[in-house]
This record gives sequence, structure tokens and C-alpha cells, in this order.
Amino acid sequence: MKFDWKRWAREPLVHFLLAGAAIFVVLGWQGAADDPSSRTISLTREDQARLASGFADVMGRPPTDAELDGVIANWVREEVLYREALKLGLDDGDAVIRKRLAQKMDTLAASAADAESPDDAALQKWLQDHPERFAQDMTLTFEHIYFTDRSRAVVGKTLLGGGADWTRVGDPVSLPANFRTASQAVVAGEFGDDFARAIGRVPVGPQWQGPVESALGWHLVRLTAREAGTLPPLAAIRNRVEGDWRAETARSRTDAAYKVLRDAYTVKVAR
Amino acid sequence: MGGSIRTLSAAGLLLSLSACDMTVTGAGSASEAARGDGTGTVPLAEYPERVFWGDTHLHTDNSIDAFGFGVRLGPEQALRFARGEKITATTGVPAQLDRPLDFLLIADHSDGLGSTRRLYDAPRLLIRDATLRRWHDMMHEGPRQSQRAIAELITAASNGELPEAMRDPENQAKATEEIWTRHLDTIDRFNEPGKFTALAGFEYTLMPDGNNLHRVVMFRDGSARTKQVRPYPGLSGGVDGLWDYMAAYEKKTGGRALAIPHNSNVSNGLMFELTMPGGGPMTAEYARKRARWEPVVEVTQIKGDSEAHRLLSPNDEFASYGVAGWELGNLPLTRRATPDMFGGNYVREALKRGLTIEAQTGANPYRFGLIGSTDSHTALATGDEDNFYGKHTGNEPRAGRAAEAQNLGTREGRFGWQYLASGYAGVWARANTRAEIFDAMMRREVYATTGPRMTVRMFGGFDFSEEDFDARGWVANGYRRGVPMGGELVDEGKPPVFMIEALKDPKGANLDRVQVVKGWIDASGTTQEKVFEVAWSDPATRRLAGGRVPPVGDTVDRAKATYTNTIGVRQLRVRWTDPEYRAGQNAFYYVRVIEIPTPRWVLFDALRYKLTLPKEIMNNSVSQERAYSSPIWLVGKNRT
Repeated sequence: MKFDWKRWAREPLVHFLLAGAAIFVVLGWQGAADDPSSRTISLTREDQARLASGFADVMGRPPTDAELDGVIANWVREEVLYREALKLGLDDGDAVIRKRLAQKMDTLAASAADAESPDDAALQKWLQDHPERFAQDMTLTFEHIYFTDRSRAVVGKTLLGGGADWTRVGDPVSLPANFRTASQAVVAGEFGDDFARAIGRVPVGPQWQGPVESALGWHLVRLTAREAGTLPPLAAIRNRVEGDWRAETARSRTDAAYKVLRDAYTVKVAR
Repeated sequence: MGGSIRTLSAAGLLLSLSACDMTVTGAGSASEAARGDGTGTVPLAEYPERVFWGDTHLHTDNSIDAFGFGVRLGPEQALRFARGEKITATTGVPAQLDRPLDFLLIADHSDGLGSTRRLYDAPRLLIRDATLRRWHDMMHEGPRQSQRAIAELITAASNGELPEAMRDPENQAKATEEIWTRHLDTIDRFNEPGKFTALAGFEYTLMPDGNNLHRVVMFRDGSARTKQVRPYPGLSGGVDGLWDYMAAYEKKTGGRALAIPHNSNVSNGLMFELTMPGGGPMTAEYARKRARWEPVVEVTQIKGDSEAHRLLSPNDEFASYGVAGWELGNLPLTRRATPDMFGGNYVREALKRGLTIEAQTGANPYRFGLIGSTDSHTALATGDEDNFYGKHTGNEPRAGRAAEAQNLGTREGRFGWQYLASGYAGVWARANTRAEIFDAMMRREVYATTGPRMTVRMFGGFDFSEEDFDARGWVANGYRRGVPMGGELVDEGKPPVFMIEALKDPKGANLDRVQVVKGWIDASGTTQEKVFEVAWSDPATRRLAGGRVPPVGDTVDRAKATYTNTIGVRQLRVRWTDPEYRAGQNAFYYVRVIEIPTPRWVLFDALRYKLTLPKEIMNNSVSQERAYSSPIWLVGKNRT
């Protein structure tokens, strides 16, 4: 079997192992300098540059030498107190630290999904696996005649059956008389949900149908076209599919990563 | 134990590295059509046939105060929500609109764009300023403390006491540029001409002494143009600085911009002055500039309604809608309002003042149309009573929110129930694109609602006949032989005629009545106003007496938060001629549509959380929601 490194690269467990390895490398490279039990605090040039750039991010300008000294002194102070606090176990039971670190773990698990650029094939598959999220509404092309009440609509239909001009039958209303390839959602927005559902069942053809009641009154309807909702090609909605893929993938990786970790624990809840 | 902490800190470092990668590789790009203003991308109707619904005033986690109030949703989630998707609100509650919006303008504050977020994320030891460090700590302590920090921040901003690091535009420039550019890319990705319009803009937060002179700035253009500028800061200078900025934008890019004032109700009389800002007679130049750059005003939103106050309009029984709490003073309530300030606070009075200034200078600074929007700071554009996510994250759906003191500054005086689940902007445009929505705002063919989506049509002319009005295609007649809402009629020496129609919200309550509000200058040069009842339900039983129509009734079941459409009517229409027309008197006319009484959001809360509401809230638990059209002006022939 061919080694599917792409699939492998998506495994959350692998991410954790890689992260662990990277941490090991980073710590190895830095030596044991920031081991809380160590009594040596060393600050490399790179560390100082990082502090300076952090200062600049907040204040909008680089620090002066005196300010940088102050920042370093503050950093050292915090590091000393931080190590001592850890030795005293003050982090234990701190709800803020607990929550913040848990959040970092979740974000770490999801972050690969943020950085990744899925290819067309992956997105095509995503589109086909979740058609309900991307399918476009049914569209309708129709004319309608408005009546304020049902009995007027029935009379109107009789007049039309006798050959009356359709533009002269009906009551005035500010609604447009023609809708061209309007989505069912647009129709619902103009006439209400019941009418949008009802018109989905009216036969297509040159005959006036109805009366159909809407939220606004009664209507005779002539439906000239109805197209079922279709799934647009990937090219037309690529951004939308990619966004959906990214959100969902991040969520499922967070869940999967948690599961891997969770499985290693035995949890006993007293009942 | 200590070892595991160290490991996780290093993991955090890796995390920030991968976050950097994301901005390079992860950003999908928008199509060319989505990046522009929409011109030529979709077919245009011959005239506006459909009303498009939107919110021009929404804040996300890029707003300095919204982030501090606790919102953790950004522009992307805001756009997803507005176009109808289900998302999770910051407080963990699932949120979805009953109906999608057609357009959205995310108007984050230009001042300190993204800076509370950066303050929150900044390593504590790098924050030098004691005040900033305290706010940083408060934001990390929890939602309550975070909201207090932001209340302090708003007060500091309105007192001109923001810490230097936050105030100085130079210091903010780099960060602002980054956030602005990313934001413009995001809205391009969501902009779908013909389906959903994502407009670029920001909020300009001018607030001398806490008096609200805020404006939302809207751009017509896509990112190729808007990326050439940065949002203009509001905490220093005057509003003419903003207009100069907009003029410079148009000159530099060939694009278009407009500004939308809002919350005049908490401006302590400064939003619609009779004089120049700072005093002295208003000049024609200033009046013209204002009318040029500010074609619409946001008249209703969560922080109250600014249409009319009973002290100014004692004969209007429907005045003072949504003024409770907001009428007390300026935004942070550092200064109480006195009745002499109300004239500059309410829109109807402003329209009248516009006529006065025009008589004096030849130019009307207050010739504006009306829209509603939310001003929500939750990234959720909710204007529906049964689906209201509050002013900010601190009052997202939660049992105590209606009764709690809800101070945006640090003083007492306003309460949760005084927030309105309001409003939306209705726009008559030929298609749903950036250019068409913007152009409709420029010609003021727009209207405001307090949330419901009723259809409102108004045409003014001199020759509309009964036949014109009773024809099936009467709307076309309106365009052909008159002007739509927002337009101007030049006095022809005979009374103007209006063709008006209102349709109920297809998913909402029936209509009680349609009124025409007229303002004019009488022979002595004094401004006057009158509300005319022009159409109402059940006219056979509800007879006009003394110029008034009896109340429509009330079907609201307070215990169940329900109402029935057994009263009121679905459609109201009327052809109305001004019976009090006098030749040569300049006037404006706008339509107010009133719904039957329906439950306010506080009743839905009471039902959801099984609350017994205090008497004061129960007395304010039912309202008659409404729409305000943009006016049509009647102007003299010899006007300059």
C-alpha cells in the first residue's frame, strides 16, 4: 500500500507528537536555562529583540535603551516570581491559568487547519459530502395578481377564464407582478412562508392557478418555470466551501485531539 | 507539575508561529466581481422593485468597546450571521436570524481599531501606562470586570482622557492598517452581488464632553479603492475634518463616501444645532457641506429612538417612542439634558430647523432621509423582539438583563429594559449591490423601521389621479409622474398629492395606521408640525374624531408573549392631498406606519427565564413598532 502522507499529516495525534518533538528541540537548543528549578536566568539577543518588538507593537514605536532596560528588568522580575510561584505550586487550582492553558491546547489542535490550503479535490469531496449546506434554493419564475380577499380572487379568475387582460384584473399593490428566477427564500421574504411553500407545488403552465393565500392577501399565480435547487460547481462557491471546511476541520481536530488525550486518563466521578 | 507548565508555554510559542503562517497561506481570495462595487455584475430593474433589508451599524471584536464588553466574534462571524447562518454567540448561546439580511456594514470604531484586543493580548509587563495595565487586568479577570473597564474607557474617551498610547493616531497607524486591510479582504469574500452585499465603512466617534456626535461612514467601493485610505479617527477635531477626509478620499480614489449621524438623542442638543458648532450663525457653506456628506440619519437603534419627543410634539400621541432613559442626558450621563437641548436631539425638530436655516441662508443642512440600524456590539445584527441579543455581550440573553442598570458610562440612570430591539434599514434599490445600495442612500430612497420588515411606498407629485393610484402598475406611475421618498417637489402653486402604501411584515404583525407627518414654515416664519391620520384599519368602526383615530386595541397575552392578527389590517393605502397647503410655504412630509401592539423583548425574556418582571418593566413590555419614511420636501421655485 502506498504511504498516504497527506492523510497521515492530518492526524491530530501526529500533530501532538510533532509539537512535542519541536518542544524538545527548542528546549534542547535553549539548554535548561528556563527550567523553573534552575537558578540561572539568561536572556539571549533574540529574546531581547522579541521584548523590544513586543514593546513596539503596544506603543507604536521602538523602546529607548532605558525603556528596554526597564522592560528587561520587568521581565526578569516576572520570571523570578514565576519560577518561585511554580515551586510553591501556586498555579495549582488557579481557574484562570487552567482555562487559559486548556484553550491553548484546543487552539494548538485546530491551528493546523487554519494554516492549511486544501486542494480542489479535497474541497470537491467536501462539497459532495455536504450538499445540504451549499445547495441553492429552488427558484421560481411567475406572475401573480393580487386580491384583498378570496371572493374577489375567485371573481378575478372567472374574468380571466373569459379572456380578460390579466394586467387589468386584480387589486393594486406595491408588490412587483413578475418574479424571475427568484429563490424560494426571496419569495418567502415578500409573501410569507406559507405562500412560498404553496407555490412550490403549483403546476407549471400557462393557466392561472389559485387563489393562493399569502401573508398579504390572495393571489392568482401563473408559474412559468420552477427549477429544483442545484448544487453549484466548486469554482462558483470555492471560498464558501473552503471556509466551511476550515471551520469544521478545526472543530473535529480539536475533538479528536481531546479524545486521544482523554483516552489516556481514567476518570472517577463519585456518585 | 512545574515541568508541564513549561512545556505548555513552549507550545504557546509554536502556536503563535503557526498563527503567522495563517495570514499568508490561509486567506482565500474573492472573485473580481465581489471585490468591486458591483456595477455591471447583475441585471438592474427598470426602477426599484424590491426593498432590501440591512444593518449599517454593527460592531465586532475590532471595536475598542465591543471587545472590552466581552465580544469574541469578528467580522467573519458577523457576516455569516447576517446572511442567515447559525453561529454561536460569545456567551455560548446558538444564534440565527429568522430571515437573512440583504446587506451589512460593519462599522467598527475607527479610534483604537483593534486596540482593546491588542491590549488584552499584550504581555502585561510590556504595558507601561498604569491605567492601561489596570484595564488589561480587569479584562482578564472576567466579563463583569471587563465591562467595567470599558465603561471607564468610554468615560475617559468622552472626557478626552484616554491614555496617550491609545489616543495618538500615529501610534495606532500600523496596527490600524493591518486590521483595516484584513477586514476589507474579509468583506470582499462575503460580498456576492445580487445576493448579499458587504459594505466597507467604520464609525467616527466624535464625542465632545460625552455628547454623542457619532457618524457611520459608508463607502460605495471595493477594496482596490478603500485600501488606499485608513478609517478616520474621531476623538479629536470637528466634523468638518471628517468631511474633508471624505472629500480627499473621493478625489484620491474616484470612489464615493457618505456619513450617517446617529444617536442624536444623546447629543445634548448638539447633533442638529441652529447655529454653527461652537456658536454663531450657520453659514450657507457649512449647511451645503453637511447636506452633501450626510444624506441620511439613523433615527432608531438599540440605544433609543430619535424621531420625536412629546415635549416638542405635544399633540402627537405616538411621540416619545423609545426615549425612556435616553432622554436623561448625554451618552455617559456625565451631563443631564435640559428641555432646551431637545430641539437638537430629535429628528423631526431637525427637519423643521432645516427649513428655518434654508430660509435664512438658502441652504438646508438637514435635508436627510431616515434609516434604522442596530448599533449592536455583539457582532449579531438582531432587530427582532423574539430574537434579541442585546446591546453588547454583557446583555446577551440572560435572566437578569432587563432589570439591571446598564450604564455605558460610569454613572447610574439607565436600565436594560430601555434598550430597544431596533432597527433595520429598508432600501429601495434596483439590485442588491454596493453601488445600488449606496446610490439609494444618496438619493434618500430609504426608510427606517424599529425591526419589523413592513413595506412602505410613498410618491409625491401634483397630478396623481385616482386612476394612477388604482392601477395595478401604480408604482410605475409614481416614478413616472412624481418623486419617491427622499425626493423634492418644486412648488407649483397647487397642493401636493401623495400616493402611499404600507404592507405588513409578511412574518409579523398587522398594521394599525398610516400617518403623514408634515412640518412647514408659516406666514410669520415660525416652524409648525402636524400629524395627519390618513389610513387605518376598520374605518367603519374607528371613526376620526377631532383629528384622531381611536386606538386599534391590544391582543398581547403578557403571560405568553403572544399576539394575534385579529385586529389591524395587512395592507393600507391612500392617495392623500395636503388639505392645509399654502402656496409659497416650504414643507416636508414623511410617512409613519404604526403596527398593532406586540410584545417587547422583555416579555420573551420573562417567558424564557420564568421571571416575574417588576411593575415598571411590565408597563413597558408592549409597544407599537413603526416605520419612518424619508421625507419628500416641497420647496419654493426661487430657491438657490
